[in-house]
Amino acid sequence: MLKQIMQIDRRIIFILVALAVIIPTLLKVSFPITISEPTRKLYDYIEDLPSGSTVLIAFDYGPSSMAELQPMGTAFLRHCFQKKIRVIGMTLVTEGATLGYETMQEAAKTTGAIDGVDYVYLGFRPGTIQVMLGMGTTINNIFESDYKEKPLAEIPMMEGIKNYDQIDLILDLASSSTTEAWITYINTRYNQKIAAGVTGVIISQMYPYLQTEQLIGLMSGLLGAAEYETLIETPAKATKRMSVQSFVHLLVFGLVILGNVAFFIQKRENENV
Amino acid sequence: MRRQVPLALCFVFGVVMVLIEFSPHPYSKFLYNEVINWSLIITPFALVLGVATLVQTHWIRIRRRAEYWQYSFVVFIGMIVMVTIGIPFGPSHKAFAWLFKYIQTPMDATMFSLLAFFIASASYRAFRARTLEATLLLVAALIVMIGNAPIGDLIWNKIMPFGENLPSTARQWILENPNLSSRRGVILGVSLGVISQSIRIILGIERSYLGGGD
Amino acid sequence: MEKLIGVWIAAFLTLCIYSFLYRDNPFYRFAEHLFVGISVGYGIVLSIHQGLIPLAWTPFWQAITQWPPGWGLTKLIPIAIGLLFFARLIPNYAWLIRYPIAILMGIGSGLAIPNVMQADIFRQVHGTLVPFSQIHAGTLSGSEIFGAILMLIGVISTLTYFFFSVEHRGVVGGVSKVGIIFLMIGFGSAFGNTVMGRVSLLIQRVEFLLQDWLHLI
Repeated sequence: MLKQIMQIDRRIIFILVALAVIIPTLLKVSFPITISEPTRKLYDYIEDLPSGSTVLIAFDYGPSSMAELQPMGTAFLRHCFQKKIRVIGMTLVTEGATLGYETMQEAAKTTGAIDGVDYVYLGFRPGTIQVMLGMGTTINNIFESDYKEKPLAEIPMMEGIKNYDQIDLILDLASSSTTEAWITYINTRYNQKIAAGVTGVIISQMYPYLQTEQLIGLMSGLLGAAEYETLIETPAKATKRMSVQSFVHLLVFGLVILGNVAFFIQKRENENV
Repeated sequence: MRRQVPLALCFVFGVVMVLIEFSPHPYSKFLYNEVINWSLIITPFALVLGVATLVQTHWIRIRRRAEYWQYSFVVFIGMIVMVTIGIPFGPSHKAFAWLFKYIQTPMDATMFSLLAFFIASASYRAFRARTLEATLLLVAALIVMIGNAPIGDLIWNKIMPFGENLPSTARQWILENPNLSSRRGVILGVSLGVISQSIRIILGIERSYLGGGD
Repeated sequence: MEKLIGVWIAAFLTLCIYSFLYRDNPFYRFAEHLFVGISVGYGIVLSIHQGLIPLAWTPFWQAITQWPPGWGLTKLIPIAIGLLFFARLIPNYAWLIRYPIAILMGIGSGLAIPNVMQADIFRQVHGTLVPFSQIHAGTLSGSEIFGAILMLIGVISTLTYFFFSVEHRGVVGGVSKVGIIFLMIGFGSAFGNTVMGRVSLLIQRVEFLLQDWLHLI
């Protein structure tokens, strides 16, 4: 029996995982979200910005991470647009180009923000660090036109925005090491305020930068997105998904405990023999 | 010519970039901007080469009839469709965005979501408290997992009369204390490595990036 | 209509990939290769439209059409250097690729030294020590003082663990063992967060199948 439990076919575990996602999704379960300090700090920073300020959001991720990062982008953009904070969007990752464009358009649609007045989407340029540093001199030097190839000089929102001096915050939505690059090169060189929204895999490595305030705020994976949705009082995709997430976490928790109990019983039996 | 000139170029550009950092003179600012512009112009060519290399790999697979070579045709079909629409009309065109949204995005997202199944299976099979170190890793992982799940706080608050939201508080404490310390140790170690490697590259001691041959 | 077709194609491809959970099969291999092809095609389009054209072609065009020719002509040099990347495709001249790589390596290394030193060494050391000046000023609570001491012990012991120039015996061995404890807790927390990340991707795909495709929710 014990041996059977320990050598269970992995496909049975796959089915359990699938059910742990499908059933709560169908039942539309919903749990309250506890807000963590790093997310609150980002929210407070935006709350304290006067209307007319400018933030830059970098969609540095591809479809493989959009489940976590897209809801963050949407919630953050909504907050900015509601507060009449102008947003510049861009990406350092090829796949981010289309995802960023989509996210900005959707958020604009729900809040009534206008392209070229309330937001500008610049798109992608290759050469991560050089792009970041080049924008420090003039944004126009790197992006002569926006994603739809309209020259920046003809976009009303970009009037008076030359480089990082006119940007109050950079939010990096990252699935790789771009946040570290923004910190190392742009925070250090231009004293630019940086915040991040990152995937679950890289949450842990962001904490040293939070303590030194090289990062002024952090959204941690899907949970961070759900926290931000709660803060702006617009529960959406992330809040829903985090409730479903709870069941899979409980399942994995249970599987680890079961595996260990079986392991220790078997170990004791072997010792007795 | 084949090795010495590239090494000399690497040295000159490296030293110039380090020195510029410490000089506020307008000339050095001008030089800095020019060098950044140069590297911005050079980089896209590398990206195109990367793509060309991948095409070459699949072409060779077809020519040599390697295992599953027929699927390389699928690679080419996918690529040709994207290029045929994307090059003349640009990436913001509706048809290109449609292909990205309904073909590339679901496949990319699904491919990585497979890992959810494998991580659950691996947790069950391999996550054992065999030693003190393994136990610490396991306990920290379980606390963070339950702290991340909203249901963790909900159950705790219902059952326990003390320590409101303890699971999420414990998770946050782990991330902000022991996790932060170990990560900082790693950052310091890696950064020292990056700096010493950069110095070796500039001085031409590290030259593996030049590849083999003369 | 185009959305409907798109959703059905996306659902079919999603299921093709999930069929791998049972075992490797032609449907999975088809989707896998289609994914590679589409991604490469996407990469080509973006590299050209958002890379080569604005960063290389436009400056090139401006340089050769500008009259009288001025400083813009210098842009032809990096363009020529960039073109050397393609030497890799011609076996006899493949060594020419070393020129652009060497230049980029030099620039990258030169930029890294001062910035990494400042952001990842000075600031991190400062962050570790600054709470102690606050202890002296009496502005930290008991738990914050505990946290500051724990942080210092954690950073030093983790660094000691990575210090391989001395044999890990005696005091060094003891300290590095403490470092392992911190590292294990760090890795554990990373694992816990990774579970959340991976499951998020699965939830999104299931949500797509149940909502957008089957309209069950």
